[in-house]
Formats: sequence, C-alpha cells, structure tokens
Amino acid sequence: MIQPVTGNAEQFKHSFREEGREILADLESALLELNDNRADAELVGRIFRGLHTIKGSGSMFGFERLAAFTHDLESAFDRVRNGRLEISTELIDRTLAALDQISAMLEDGVVGARAADPAACAAILESVRQLAGIEETAPPVKEAAPAPENDATRSGPMRSWRIHFAPGPDLMRTGANPPLLLRELHTLGGLSIRASTDAIPPLADLDPERCYMAWDMVLVTDAGADAIRDIFIFVEDACQLTIAPDGDGVEEPRQAAAGGDAGSIAQALAEKRSPSAGRRVYDQPDHAASLRVPAAKLDQFVNLVGELVTVQARLAELAGRRDDADVAAVSEEIERLTSALRESSMNIRMTPIRSTFEKFRRLVHDLARDLGKDVDLTIEGADTELDKTVIDQLGDPLMHLIRNSMDHGIERAEERIARGKPARACIHLSARHSGASVIIAVSDDGRGIDAEAVRRRAIEKGLVASDACLSESAIFALILEPGFSTAQEVTDVSGRGVGMDVVRQKVESLRGTLEITSRPGHGASIALRLPLTMAIIDGLLVGVGDACFVLPLASTLECIELTRDDIERANGKHIANVRGELVPYIRLREHFNLRSRPPQIEQIMLVDTGEGRFGFVVDQVLGNCQTVIKSLGHFYRQVQIVSGATILGNGSVALILDPERLIQDAVRADQNSEAGCTPAAASGRKRREVFSTPSGATAAPV
Amino acid sequence: MGIALGQADHSSLIRLDGVVDISAAAELKAALLRAIEVGDEIRVSVNEAAELDVTALQLIWAAAREARLKSVGFALAWKAPESVRSFLASTGLTGLALLE
Repeated sequence: MIQPVTGNAEQFKHSFREEGREILADLESALLELNDNRADAELVGRIFRGLHTIKGSGSMFGFERLAAFTHDLESAFDRVRNGRLEISTELIDRTLAALDQISAMLEDGVVGARAADPAACAAILESVRQLAGIEETAPPVKEAAPAPENDATRSGPMRSWRIHFAPGPDLMRTGANPPLLLRELHTLGGLSIRASTDAIPPLADLDPERCYMAWDMVLVTDAGADAIRDIFIFVEDACQLTIAPDGDGVEEPRQAAAGGDAGSIAQALAEKRSPSAGRRVYDQPDHAASLRVPAAKLDQFVNLVGELVTVQARLAELAGRRDDADVAAVSEEIERLTSALRESSMNIRMTPIRSTFEKFRRLVHDLARDLGKDVDLTIEGADTELDKTVIDQLGDPLMHLIRNSMDHGIERAEERIARGKPARACIHLSARHSGASVIIAVSDDGRGIDAEAVRRRAIEKGLVASDACLSESAIFALILEPGFSTAQEVTDVSGRGVGMDVVRQKVESLRGTLEITSRPGHGASIALRLPLTMAIIDGLLVGVGDACFVLPLASTLECIELTRDDIERANGKHIANVRGELVPYIRLREHFNLRSRPPQIEQIMLVDTGEGRFGFVVDQVLGNCQTVIKSLGHFYRQVQIVSGATILGNGSVALILDPERLIQDAVRADQNSEAGCTPAAASGRKRREVFSTPSGATAAPV
Repeated sequence: MGIALGQADHSSLIRLDGVVDISAAAELKAALLRAIEVGDEIRVSVNEAAELDVTALQLIWAAAREARLKSVGFALAWKAPESVRSFLASTGLTGLALLE
C-alpha cells in the first residue's frame, strides 16, 4: 500500500490540520444555514463535499480514525443530496456534535488539545445511521478518499467517460499522491490509462518535488460525472480536470472552462485533445491566489520591519544633523520606502473578522436550544479587517458577551410575545471602521439592562456609596467590575460575574475601550472600540522639558497655542477656548511632575476621545513619527496611561501615551483629592466640573 | 528509505530501498545526475523498493531519456515487489518506454 506521507509526514499533517479547521468552520456555518433553509440543495452539496474532503484528505494524511468516523456522515448527506433522506433538526444537531468530535480527532497529537470521546463518537454514529437508514459499514481505513456509497449516481446505464487529469505543479508538495486517485477510479469500473510524460523537462532542470505528469483515461462505468469528480474533490483546486462523456461534448470541464461560454468550453475540449495540452499547463506560471504562511513567520517579518523603522529614524536624525544634501535625499527615500513597507506589512496582518463572527452561529444555535429560546444571529460588517493579533484575542470576550446576552438579555418567547415583541429574538454582531479603530458591537433586542438593579447591587457590594450620584453610563460601567452580577441564579451559561470583568481586561489589554448602552425593554448593546493594529502606529512626537512623549496620530485633532494671557483669562482653570468651545486640558508637566520650567508659549494638542475633546499641554510639537510599539513588560503593566514605549532616532526612549486612559487617570486623581468621594461616583460627574480646579493630579508612577 | 549510489569503472548502480517518494526526490535527482555525468553504464535497481511515487518515476524517466541522448547505457533492474508493480499497473506507468 502506498503511504502518501513519510518523510514530510508532520509537515503534511500540519497543513491538513490547518485546512481541516477551515473546512470544519465552513461545514458548521453551512449546517446552521441549512437549519434555516432546509431545501437549499447547494448547501447540502457544500456539506457533502466538505465531509468528503475531510474524510479523503484525512485518510491520505494518516488520520484514519477521523476518516472512518466521517464515512457514515458523508453517506447520510449523500442520501440527502440524492433526495433519499430529509433534513431534520436531529440530523443537523448530530452532525454538529460529530464536527466537534472530528475537530478533536484533527487535533490528535497536538499538545494540550482536547481528545475525542469514543463513547460520544459511537453514540453519534449510531444515531446518524438510524436517522439515515445506513447499515454499519467497515470503516474505510487506509483507503485514500474512498468513493461514497452513491446508489443514485451508480444506478444509471453503463457509459464511457474520457477523463483528463493534470495535477498542478505543487500538488505533490501538499502530500497528495495522484496515483492513489487513479487507483480509486478503478473501483468505479473498467479503466484504461495513458500516462503523459510530455512535460517532463531535462533532468538538470527538473524540480524533483513537482509533478509534471498527466493522465488521459477512458472509464466505462455506471457512475455519473459527480461520482467521478468526487474522487478528485480534494485536489480539484490544484489540478486541471475534465470529465467528458466519450464521443460527446465536454461535460462540466472544471478549471479550464469554469464559468465559460460555449466557445470556451469548445476551446477547453480542443486543448484537452491536443497532445501539448499538458505542457501548456505546466509552462504557465502558478496562479496561486493566496499563500498560507505560518503566523510566526509573519510576526517575525513585522518585528523586522519594526527594527527597520527604528533604524530609519536614526538615519533621519543623523541626516538632519549633517548638512549633506545627498545623505538627506537618501534618508528621505529610505523613509518613504520604510513607510510603504510598514504599511504593506501591516496590511498583510489585516484579516477579515468573518471567521470569528461565523463561529458564533454555532454558539447561538446551541445556547438557544439549551435555554429553550428562539434566537436569530445577524451579522454585519464581517469583511471588516483587523490586525490578526487583535482578532485572535477577540473570541473569548465576544463569546462572554453573547452568552450574557442569551442568558440574561433575551427573554423567553412567551414573555416577548406578552411585551408585543416578535417571538424570535435577535442578536446582532457588527463590525465597522472608525478612524484608526474598529468598533465591534454585540446588540440584542432583549429586556435591556436594569440600571436601578445594577445600582442596588453595586451598593450592596460596596462598590458605590448609597448616596452616590451616578450617570447611566457610570452605572453600566459597574457591570464591568470584578465579581459583579445581577443574575438571580448562576447558570451553566453565565451569572458568576466573571465574564464581564474578563471582557474588560481583555479589551483593555488590546488598548481598546468598552461602551454599554441600553434601552429598558428594547435591548442592550456593548461596543468594543479596538485599535486597528498592535504593532506600529503613526504617532505625534511632543516634548515637555527634556522628556518626549508620543500621542497616537489617529486621535489627535489639532494644535493650538496656550499663552500666559490665556491661562489668566481662564482664572486658573484648565480650560481653553477653542473657537468658542470650552475644552478641558491636562498639563503633562504637572501630571507627570516634571520639574522643568514651561516656555512662555505652550502648545495644546487637542485629541478626540470617546468622552469628547480634550487637550494635552506640551512645550512643543516635534512632528510625526512612525512608532514601533515596544512593550514595557510586566513591571509596568499597572501603568495604564502608557500603552508602550518607542525608541527614537537619537536612541532615547519615548513613552506612548494612551489619551483615553490619561484623561480617566486625571479625572480619578482630581476626584480623589476631594474627600469622601468614591472613584465610581467621581466618574459620573460632568467632565467640565472635573477640570475646574488646577490639577490636583499626583505624579504618575512612570 | 534509502538511495545508494555505487560507482566503479564508469558504471553506476543506484539502489533504491524502501519508500522512495517526494522526501527522497532531491537525493535521487542528485544521484542520477552524478551517475550520468561519470558513467557509461547506469543501472537503477528497484528490487528492494517497497514504494515509488510519481516524483521518483519522473526522475527515472528523465534520467533514462538523458542517458539515451548521451549514449549512456541505462537499465532498470526490475524485480519490483508486487506493491510497486500494482502501483505502476494501476496508473498506466507500465507503458513507459523505460520500463519495457
């Protein structure tokens, strides 16, 4: 028996796992869609093909248990697509449960991965067999992509098919072994094969890992074109495949004439018949639409770009000090290229949030069933792109939010009807860009958040004083406090008061913020505002005395002067009059307790935050800079007003300020100076009151 | 898996042992190139090969063609095990000139 995996086994297994995860995610999504549109034949076909690919590829790459387990599922969906079995909720639920087990089998051998449950697997298979009326079959272990039982397509009259199979150049590198597919064709009927060696180049030029051969075959079988094509299903994207009834026109020539008109089909047929057809394909460049690159390699690339940005800053600094036009020109060119490279590298890391969103369909489906609620999940903006690092860490917070919403927010159908709402509730997941941020929101049309209940609970837990005057947003912010829960009972889903605190911590660790809004009786929405990228940002370099700070350019609005007269006119209050609008400001010199003397004319950098406009008073604005964010390490993790540090061109270090946190910190410090007032109460005050006195802010521990 | 190249008096013997697939393709190509470069006579023994894949067959086929062009003798020692024979038969490769 030919084993397709030997020396590169682990590499191929790794590739299969990656591909398998994608297929499983697609299968899950298709099953949930099918639950709502049970007559959709395209979805059934998609599910069947997914299962067939998982089974066939699994067998090829040594996942025999996975392949055997998937066999009956595939047979069941084969019956569905042939109209011999109806889709039922039970079948969908069993298949979803089976996908969980397949996922565990896929991760078999991965450290820390959950193992498949043999008892659950047996129960699922038994149930699927009963539903589909399938008798237990011997598992197709060690068989490469065995053809599914396909009675409908094999019950036709015997006919002859001409098949042209030209593996793509890289097929062998994926671990696939074309002869195994040909061997499987033998099982469908009488097969005559001619191997074409026309495209094999001279030995010296031959890429030893590339497939140059092609096969022309005539198959006499009672199977239909679909059954033949299914054999090639998991290599179809990486090969040229035409299947034509012998002596007839080409039937569905896949790659060569996909979506083509009659002319292109005829051309495809002519090309197939041409002796040089194989060579022509191999001489074409590889048109890979995308490449799969390990995330670690990408991280390394971005790190190197970051280092380059730092070195470029040094070069710019050096060029600025020298009166040399040539050096200056080279420096500017390097700066331009570095900036473009930085942009490109950041773009490579940008990934649509779709896959993260889609996986919540399953969560909502399962929770709705467990909680006895009828809930629809709608998704908007799934193509919104976000840094992969951010996306990778968003799964848990979003899951907590959805679970909370399902458990506490959404009412039961009867309660909803009594309130004049549709019986079916809706959870809406959305993503959209907003400047240099992405806003991801989880909204529901449930009962909303009872602000009074939250307030009562907060007083009980001693989080706020009983006479505290709190705004609605301040009350909602209490939900994010550790251990806070208004749930009457702890359920399997939520209610322990752990989730929201974790959500807040995670979002904050991503330099993001949370905003909660609610309309009693109409629903609630929690919006996460997250930065687009975590690695390199455009910053504005400002100086205070000898110190330099970086403000994220995306949040800065404009720069205005602050004179002694302006300060006197404000009667010592930290408020600037910006074209008639009163804008509170923070003096960084005072906030950071810097002892240098301020210049006669200072600068106010105006920034836009979720709370409105604020200003930061600095000595001078030094200019734009590409800022590579370096972590300050665990020692400084409590210093939340700083989101990192960066190395400047002259080798010195500048702290990257987090404007939102800096403002919150100043508010808190200001209010703490007033006796008997809790931080929570303080945050509820109007922002202009907060800055009404010269800063009582203490020095930040940086 | 193993590829052994023995050379003596302008003749080379390349012995393929065990599974010879894509993971051994680069090594096999190097051995064939060396053999063609130095030898008047090349013998490739697949008697001990448990499995051959397409990459190996392509290389052997290309080497046979190269040898023919350079008037170097090329022979395939051919008592392959049943698994290899059945593999070749099922893929239409028995019809290749070099194997006849």
